[in-house]
Amino acid sequence: MTARNRASVPALDPRAKIVAMVAALILCVSTPAQRYTTFAAYFAVLVAAFALSGVSARVLARRLLAVLPMMLLCAAFIPFLHHDTVGGGYSLSFGGLHLSRSGLLVLWNIAIKASLGVALVTLLNETTPFPLLLRGLEQLRCPRLGILLLGFCHRFLFVLRDEALRMKRAADARGFQGRWLWHAPVVGRMIGALFLRGYERGERVYLAMASRGFNGGMPAAETPPALAPADRVFLGGALAVFLVLRIALP
Amino acid sequence: MHIPDGFLSAPVAAAGYAASAAVLALAVKRSGQTLEERQVPLLGVTTAFVFAAQMLNFPVAMGTSGHFLGAVLAAVLLGPLNGCLVFAAVLTLQCLLFADGGLTALGANFFNMGVVGGVGGYALFRLATALLPRSRRGFLFAAALASWISVVASASACAVELALSGTVPLGLVLPAMGMVHAIIGIGEAVITVATLSVILAARPDVVGEWRGPSPVLLVGETSS
Repeated sequence: MTARNRASVPALDPRAKIVAMVAALILCVSTPAQRYTTFAAYFAVLVAAFALSGVSARVLARRLLAVLPMMLLCAAFIPFLHHDTVGGGYSLSFGGLHLSRSGLLVLWNIAIKASLGVALVTLLNETTPFPLLLRGLEQLRCPRLGILLLGFCHRFLFVLRDEALRMKRAADARGFQGRWLWHAPVVGRMIGALFLRGYERGERVYLAMASRGFNGGMPAAETPPALAPADRVFLGGALAVFLVLRIALP
Repeated sequence: MHIPDGFLSAPVAAAGYAASAAVLALAVKRSGQTLEERQVPLLGVTTAFVFAAQMLNFPVAMGTSGHFLGAVLAAVLLGPLNGCLVFAAVLTLQCLLFADGGLTALGANFFNMGVVGGVGGYALFRLATALLPRSRRGFLFAAALASWISVVASASACAVELALSGTVPLGLVLPAMGMVHAIIGIGEAVITVATLSVILAARPDVVGEWRGPSPVLLVGETSS
């Protein structure tokens, strides 16, 4: 995934962005649901960050849609949750179902936190090309095997995805509708073919790498340079803003 | 089944991370003995494969569709521990690249799909192959059974975690998730069997758990 914008955020060190994102995420998720002012402030900060970095809201909207099914699933159970009226709340009841204040609070809690989480992750990966993100994670001392695996996977991801989409297009062109469960074997055979093609590609790649002297290690990462002043300012600023919002606001 | 941020309470999310870290540490340690780092490219391609396979949606009933999970397939092809590594990489990429599944819920998501679905499903698969006749048919039936149960078990684990976090009431959500995924699981089982039989027909040597006859090597093909 390439960064689609050339604003100031992409120029920052990935390490600073990763640490800032993770810290902001943990602070957001750990905020009690009733602190509406704090959430409004988080929202404002994120709107500003999106505007500054030039990340398109369309990408964000598409990803938020992906969270919706899980949200609806939980929302469907809200009427059955907590038959109470906490703190002078209200209880609307229809046909034995109750819409209680604490039930609504649960819904609000998951909706706002899931959205903030998606927004923060989107902000990070839309402003950081994935190889740089991986290098940042490596410099932050994440396990090397994991980084190596993620790197290889990312390299083949789009190749295999295109392969899968070509198969899907071929099936569509032959009138495959896939509307019922008994059409699933067709998808199964497509996945089998996909595996074989992918696996054999992997073997070829490994042999090509082995013939060029690959013996398991990647060139050792050079000692990571210290964070530049701009990165320090960004990291310090981001941490300070989210900490203040998390602690100070009602 | 990917849990977003905010759906889990802090203790549940932390427990998910702790359990996942323990399993992954074991997988990395054991694979350090059996898997050479040389095989990482192959493992990387397999990870990309699981990722791409999950993009092919299959229909469940009118309108709704489920997608392939592939936990049992990965474990049967690569062994449970490599399957775990593959799933950890798939979920991390989905989280970091597409914001699919929350970063704070990543531990729990891996626990549900990689550990409960993958390792649990694999254990069941081994049990079933031990009981069933040692034939292609028995092998595929064991894979079908294990993959159906892996989907239902993953969904149930997800429901229990959501309930422990106070997001949903357990008594209602567990049967609901179980029933929906009992149907999705049929699709999973059918796809796993179809996939495995294609691979068994073309390259039985790459199915790690297959103990049946090996293919006749073609002249000029490398045997390693």
